[in-house]
Amino acid sequence: MTGHGALAAGCLFALCVGCSASTVNSSTAFARDWQNDSGTSIAAVVQRLRGLPLVPNARVVVGLTEAGLVGVPLEGGSRWAYPSKPSSVPSIAGNLVIFSEGDHVVALHASSGAKAWSIDSQGLLLRGAANDGTTSALVLADAHQSQFVAVSASGARLGSAQTEAALGMPAARGGIAFVPWSEQYVSALELTSGNEAGRLLTRVQVSHALNYGGELYFGQQGLMRFDDKVRFASTNQANHVSLPKVDLPGKPSWLVSGLSNAPLTANARTKIRIFAAPATAASGALTLGAGTFVASYFRVIFGLDSLSGALAWVRTLPADIVGGAAARSGFVLCDTNGKVWLTDSAGGEARTLDLGSKISQCVADMGAESVPAAAPRGPLAAQIAGALDALEPDMAEAERYLVRELGKLPDPPVTQTLIELSSSPRIPPDLRIEARRLLALRTNGTDYMLAALARHYDFVSGVLLPPPVGPLADALSASGETRAAPLLAKHLNDPANSADDVAHAARALVKLATPAEYEDLRTFFALYRATADDEALIAAVVACAEALLRVGGDAARAVVERGAQDPLTQGDVRRALPGVLSKAAPVAPPAPRAGETAGALPETPPK
Amino acid sequence: MLQRVAVIGLCLGILLPRAAPAAPPDKHPSLNLEGSKKALESGDETRALSALGEIEQSQDGRAAPLIDALLVRGASTKLLMRAIEVAGVLGQPSSSSALSPYTKHRSPEVRRAAARSLAHTKGRIAIQALRDALRGSDPALRGTAAEGLGTLGAKEAVPDLFVVLPKEVPEAAAAIGVLCRGDECKRFVGLLGKLPFEVMESGFLPLLLRAGSDAPNPVKLELIEQLRRLATQKASALLQTALASYPAEGDPQIRTAIDAALHGHSVTGGER
Repeated sequence: MTGHGALAAGCLFALCVGCSASTVNSSTAFARDWQNDSGTSIAAVVQRLRGLPLVPNARVVVGLTEAGLVGVPLEGGSRWAYPSKPSSVPSIAGNLVIFSEGDHVVALHASSGAKAWSIDSQGLLLRGAANDGTTSALVLADAHQSQFVAVSASGARLGSAQTEAALGMPAARGGIAFVPWSEQYVSALELTSGNEAGRLLTRVQVSHALNYGGELYFGQQGLMRFDDKVRFASTNQANHVSLPKVDLPGKPSWLVSGLSNAPLTANARTKIRIFAAPATAASGALTLGAGTFVASYFRVIFGLDSLSGALAWVRTLPADIVGGAAARSGFVLCDTNGKVWLTDSAGGEARTLDLGSKISQCVADMGAESVPAAAPRGPLAAQIAGALDALEPDMAEAERYLVRELGKLPDPPVTQTLIELSSSPRIPPDLRIEARRLLALRTNGTDYMLAALARHYDFVSGVLLPPPVGPLADALSASGETRAAPLLAKHLNDPANSADDVAHAARALVKLATPAEYEDLRTFFALYRATADDEALIAAVVACAEALLRVGGDAARAVVERGAQDPLTQGDVRRALPGVLSKAAPVAPPAPRAGETAGALPETPPK
Repeated sequence: MLQRVAVIGLCLGILLPRAAPAAPPDKHPSLNLEGSKKALESGDETRALSALGEIEQSQDGRAAPLIDALLVRGASTKLLMRAIEVAGVLGQPSSSSALSPYTKHRSPEVRRAAARSLAHTKGRIAIQALRDALRGSDPALRGTAAEGLGTLGAKEAVPDLFVVLPKEVPEAAAAIGVLCRGDECKRFVGLLGKLPFEVMESGFLPLLLRAGSDAPNPVKLELIEQLRRLATQKASALLQTALASYPAEGDPQIRTAIDAALHGHSVTGGER
């Protein structure tokens, strides 16, 4: 803070904040002329707090309803309700739930919902709050100014500091509040005076100070741990953890900027989020809880590997997810129906709770606890298939992601799921195309493919979409599966299949056909050699000629030669056939018989 | 009205005793078979079309194999359409084999023409092709196939016809009216009130006009009674048409019942 700015802030503070006799207004906090001390001051704070017991936040879920707040303690205890018209999203701070209401900041006991204290908000809204087990650290702000205020357990104002800089979400421990600001600093402020005891300079974006099970972390895109190495943050050597880069539906964020107040009204961003908790692995390395984090997309939850970002599990809930938290292992999530879902790190449902009414959003804290393991949920492929089945067509982005992930799985049943998706009228056309693309690349699940090919459009039986013949033909051709030949040959002459699918089937038959398919091939050639009217069909006829020549002996050669000579044969087909004929070695030297004409060439199948 | 006349024609054609078919002439001096063969194999569309015209005019069944050969070889759409049509005119059962693949041609016109001709060339192959066509993705073809199955007396297709009847294949009603037996007829009559009258209508007249035990009198009487109770203009018109076209050798009980129903009398002993 410049001298002039500090003076102005001091005057304003004297006017606005000096209403409590015990308040001490710091004139040293958030100074802008601070020089990088290479971590010396923050190291001193670390040293000072070393050995103090960890103070986790209360394990509680708090929902915003039309009538106010509802809370459910996670360690047991009754659901409580607090009638109110909150003007900020509540913060869980130690054993308190703190929020703005009218001109006040109100603190409730997290276990009961009973009011602990209330202070004048000075016209500002609560941005975030923390508690060190005794004293609360509040950040109040509007668009022009931010204020740090410490509040005793009885509701008395203690130290405070004001700045024009936007302050972020605070944390607190052992009489010190940690307040991020200017996206690069975390000021360690004495709760009693507001004076700055130390400052952390980071080279990564920081707008949140967070309490996970009593351990403190700072960051936004990723988190650095408040420990002995945090002093090296200015040279990027602090213990740091971040999410892998993953292209997820709706592009969810983990921690949105803490430098502005969270919107009170839920929007799409409320429902598209990432929940992750840092934890210390047995090796001492900083990881994300139990190796998994989750992303929500309306009512879908994706469980993702914390290192690779690969989809580990998926589940759908009956209603949109509007808040929650990650535990050391597992997650607590609430939906708009007010139901609270506790899932283990594999997505298994360990427990559910009920907030008792519909909610617009919720905040939750699991403290240092883990969600106990639930019953296993079966293979990921089945989970994806189930989720796709449960989703409405307007969830296309989630469906697209799931289909893409499905294609990465090697399990044979995935092939069956892709077949069903390729033929499902329930999913959007572009997704069906993607499912077909992935199906064509499958190298296992052959029996599922053959069973699918055995089906045809059948109005009487209610089969109103043909199977994905083209992708199946490609996949089976690539694996050299000759059992597919008779099935593909039947599909050649089924007009319910698209011309493109037929072309792929014909192409596959060049490789897979046996003499048993001669009749179907010959019929197709006869029907379309002179009537093919699009590119795909022309390609199919030419491929069919190739297949005929490979399996049909003299009779086939006669059929194709006749097609090549007949002026009625479609132009492109006619031009291509000589090439096909010359490429195929004659089965037997042509021996024209006396009196035989082109029109009298044999059409009978080979024996 | 035209539809009703057609249905009556269909009914009478199928149900009344038939005169012994005239033996096809052994020889048609007007048709040069060898010349027709050469024309059809020429690859000259105009020449082939002309030959087909001559064959159609002659109605010489001996030319059917020439057309069959053309169909087996394949040809342009124009030539195929004509060949399929003439094959139907000649009505030789041997042509069904050559025609049947065309019910699955990708061109809707070609496959519908093939289905129409199969109703004339007849035989097991024709019936199977039309049953397959009933399962296909072409709505118009399904209608043509249903009609054809009725024409061909394909009683084995009745279960499939029941499936497609409520699925926008009203032609199935006429076929069921012609083909149903015993409980099938009862089931058909039971659909009155569940399906629109317009969908069912074309099947009632053939059912009422049928002779023989396949279509039992109690079912016919139930139908007459239901039509009477409907008391709509269309139902009355249908009964009037049935009475007017009732065959002289038809069952007098049914004729009397139709007449009674038209005068508002119950024919099943229920309300009057």
